[in-house]
Amino acid sequence: MVAGAWAIGWSTDHLVIPALSGHHVGAGVWWLSAAFILGISALRWSTIFIRGIATGHVQYRAQAETRRAVVRRYLDLDLGWHRRRSPGQLLAHAVSDVDALWSPMQFAYFAVGMVFMLLLALTELFFRELLLGLVGLALVVLVLTLNLLYQRLLAPRAREAQEARGVVGGIAHESIEGSPVVRSLGRADVEDARFAPGVDRLRAADVRMAAVSSVFDPLLELLPTAAVLVVLAAAAPRVADGSLSVGDLVGVVYLLITISIPLNVISRFLSMLPLSGAGQERVRSVLYSPDVVRFGSQRLATPVPLRVELRDVGAVRLEGVNLVLEPGTITVVMGAVGSGKTTLLDLAGGQHHPARGTVLFDGVDVRELARGAVPENVAVVSQSPFLFAESLRDNLSLSGGYSDEELWRALRVAAADDFVRELPDGLDTIVGERGATLSGGQRQRICLARAIVRRPRLLVLDDATSALDTRVERQVLDGLKDLVAEGGTTLLVATNRPATLTIADRVVQLRAGRIASLEESRAS
Amino acid sequence: MLRDLSRTGARELIATAVRVSPSLRQGLLLTGVLALFAGAGRIIAPLTIQRSIDSGLVPRTVIPAVVIGAAAVVVAGTASLLLNRRLQSRIEQALAGLRRAGLRRVHEMAASTADRIPSADLVSRLTSDVDQVTTFLQGGGIQFLTNTAQLLIATGLLFVYNWRLALPVLVLTGLLLVAMAGMQKLIARRYARARQDLSRMQTAVAESVLGAAVIRSTGTGERARAKLDEAVDRARDSLVSTLVPLHGNTSLGEIAISTMTVAVLLGGVWWGITGDPSLTAGQVVAMVLLVTFFVRPLQFLVQSLGEAQNALTGWRRALELVTTESATVADGVTLPPGPVGVTVENVSARYPDGPIVLHDVTLRIEPGEHVAIVGRTGSGKSTFAKLLTRGLVPAEGSIYLNGELLERLAGLSLAGRVVIVPQEPFLFTGTIGDNIKLGAPGASDETVLGVIDRLGLHEWYGTLSQGLDTPTGMRGERLSVGERQLVALARTALADPDLVVFDEATSGIDPATDLAVQRALAVLTRDRTTVSIAHRMITAETADRVLVFADGRIVQSGHHSELVHEPGPYAGLALASAEGQP
Repeated sequence: MVAGAWAIGWSTDHLVIPALSGHHVGAGVWWLSAAFILGISALRWSTIFIRGIATGHVQYRAQAETRRAVVRRYLDLDLGWHRRRSPGQLLAHAVSDVDALWSPMQFAYFAVGMVFMLLLALTELFFRELLLGLVGLALVVLVLTLNLLYQRLLAPRAREAQEARGVVGGIAHESIEGSPVVRSLGRADVEDARFAPGVDRLRAADVRMAAVSSVFDPLLELLPTAAVLVVLAAAAPRVADGSLSVGDLVGVVYLLITISIPLNVISRFLSMLPLSGAGQERVRSVLYSPDVVRFGSQRLATPVPLRVELRDVGAVRLEGVNLVLEPGTITVVMGAVGSGKTTLLDLAGGQHHPARGTVLFDGVDVRELARGAVPENVAVVSQSPFLFAESLRDNLSLSGGYSDEELWRALRVAAADDFVRELPDGLDTIVGERGATLSGGQRQRICLARAIVRRPRLLVLDDATSALDTRVERQVLDGLKDLVAEGGTTLLVATNRPATLTIADRVVQLRAGRIASLEESRAS
Repeated sequence: MLRDLSRTGARELIATAVRVSPSLRQGLLLTGVLALFAGAGRIIAPLTIQRSIDSGLVPRTVIPAVVIGAAAVVVAGTASLLLNRRLQSRIEQALAGLRRAGLRRVHEMAASTADRIPSADLVSRLTSDVDQVTTFLQGGGIQFLTNTAQLLIATGLLFVYNWRLALPVLVLTGLLLVAMAGMQKLIARRYARARQDLSRMQTAVAESVLGAAVIRSTGTGERARAKLDEAVDRARDSLVSTLVPLHGNTSLGEIAISTMTVAVLLGGVWWGITGDPSLTAGQVVAMVLLVTFFVRPLQFLVQSLGEAQNALTGWRRALELVTTESATVADGVTLPPGPVGVTVENVSARYPDGPIVLHDVTLRIEPGEHVAIVGRTGSGKSTFAKLLTRGLVPAEGSIYLNGELLERLAGLSLAGRVVIVPQEPFLFTGTIGDNIKLGAPGASDETVLGVIDRLGLHEWYGTLSQGLDTPTGMRGERLSVGERQLVALARTALADPDLVVFDEATSGIDPATDLAVQRALAVLTRDRTTVSIAHRMITAETADRVLVFADGRIVQSGHHSELVHEPGPYAGLALASAEGQP
């Protein structure tokens, strides 16, 4: 750009002014003028092009890397951490916050290049004339000061906007998930009323950002023009007395005007920093959260059903629980809604560590178990059946690599073989998002089969047959009973369906987080 | 399906946007005037310089020129400031309206449409897509306008100065625009693909967040990571593929500016020597500056085209959602008041692209009747429930409510009067009271407690630590499935519908509460048409009539006491249930 201004100044002095004031100018000067301007431009063109592509590559790659790291971290963070955050929030961290974090990248190299260019331009100005140099310096200092102030004012507003964006995302996500309820009850108004304050907060925050930028943007943009006017007023006497050539002055004017491009780029880069900082804060809070699941180094090796012992275990909804699940037995936990069944199952299945007391698998404290040891030994089927939007085969085997024969055997135990066989694509049927194309009972049975196919040493079922009708439930219970009888697994079931009691070895009654009674079942 | 606007031209798209947000049209003239002022002020500088240089830089002429220039700068600054404020607040207002209208449309579109779109996609149309527009505005989108004005003024000035020198500039601009337009099409195509991959990536992230418990308990984190990596990498690659055409296009401006400068400089001198001796050096220099003032906004416009394209795509995706047809039938018939009678005539049903799952069902449910539907899983009972609540459209045949064709009924007249209680009721983050009150917004705590009492849920209510203010957690996670169902029942009772469809709504509730609910249901179903998808014999026993479904057909119909003694599947089901009791 400096070179470009120099080329135009040179052409003015050697070609335009002499030629138009009647002097003869040789053909060489014509060619030189054209070659200077075009050559310098071609050089600039290639740097712009290459720089653009290079920064784009860096930006998108960095985004992908960070995104991967964030979601990988999600998979490592424990259940408690997840329960404190909405899926919408987590989605926002992984998507928009990561985008914001790396967005200034596209201008970063450019901005650095521009700083270098500014220094060159200033030197050039001082070299021509001290006064011109001072005007240029004043301009640059003023612009940078304004930018600093701009940033100061913008940062809190940007943070507020990003926060409001998170709120809007959270409500939108929840509301859309719950839209069947809203639709059925005709409560779009209620949802709108719930959404409106968030949307309005975001709008206000964005407008507040705009209020700042609408003052600073034109100010920054017009300062160079103002500087040109100052130069003109100051330099006119010197041109008149011959100490400065017209070509010099034109070059200076051109330089001042072109300075506005780098200054704009630098200020755009700076204006993205607050948003990027806010994004970075959120991303860091995920990446450096200490709530990861901790593991020990012990492994369990015996291929027989697992023995589980709970020693004086306590948690949020549970107090002083002592319980032993002998290998190869069926224990049924019953209790009113809210009595702590799910908490007990989470702890006994090693999904969660107790706040107080210990849980032992084959005599080993669950806290001491190595990564992967719990999934290798325990399979859990929870209250709400979750399926991935993939084929049934993928949903069942996940990364297991089971043969079709094994899959069908598990489906048979879960009484799901009949309906899967009748599906047009059998095991290759793609279930919709979260298994939407299957009924609730079908989903439960697929989840059950997914657990059974892993041949767990402990199988934990948390109200996992609630959506089955009685005949299918009977089939499932018979299948489970046979599975245990073959010495395959220890079974722990929480349920309120009386039919389950027929296969129980022991029945645990929970009341308000305590074991109210524990009896050997008459059924066994 | 959602409306597809991806093939709609820009002009029509803008017309749609203005139709959706009429506030955009207000004060358009003033906005235009402000933009012209802002652009004009930025061009006064070369004029001033030309005057000064032409007059030999005498202080006498320089001072007025500087004063005029300074005034122009002040005008340009003020106009830009006002323009900025005006436009941003207008557009942000339109965007806020767009978000709200979008969410409303999600709730009012046909259930069969909503079910087929990943919810992450719908969410992104209300959030990140709309944010694209804000990003564009804050990243200098307003300068788009001032630059356009500057471009127009610069063109005019070029012609006023010297039309002969302006011609090559225009020819080169024409060439530039043709090249850019071609490139722009390629960019648009690549961006469209990138957005699709981005949305797919969002879905993948959402799945690994929602399925975190399953991933953890099965120890399949590696697999989830691989899936995610694939989606993230694809999104990245398709973004990277936009870079070459995008920057190729951007840098064209540089070539154009230097070629035009050379053309004006050499052409001007040559014309001054051979054609028009009155052409001064000052004029040629001013022309060179004007070229800069002409190409720079042009370059800016081209540079921002990528971002503008992004913003436009985001706006389009939001508009697609907002303009998707509402299931609320315009001019629909209002469902006549009072208990609802249902007539089903020769109805067959299938899920999209699936086989027929319900064959030629014909039946009549009298107003106030309680019908229980039993049958094995996959017999078509849930499908039948979906048909009654418009969750699915019959493939053949018709359904009438109180004699009116179901699909012709105004959606709003159905809302709250025909209610389904699903297997896994959804609760919103908030309190139990909030969730129940969704049945009748504005209901008092007393009313809610009255309903709880009527349903026989006072015992359960007594176990709640904070009564109605007990928090439900995210999606009701703090409550067990059973408790969530109790809340859903109370919510429905409060809504006081005329036709209730219970889909296995009582599973997962412990026996004590279950009995109470059954009693309450008996109260609730009085004077109310009820269809229960029943799995408990107790529900079937208390119903006025039992319909037995098998393989998508009704195979038995009658009261429990008759059916038990009739040979057929019902007797078998009753027997299996009796065995299940301890």
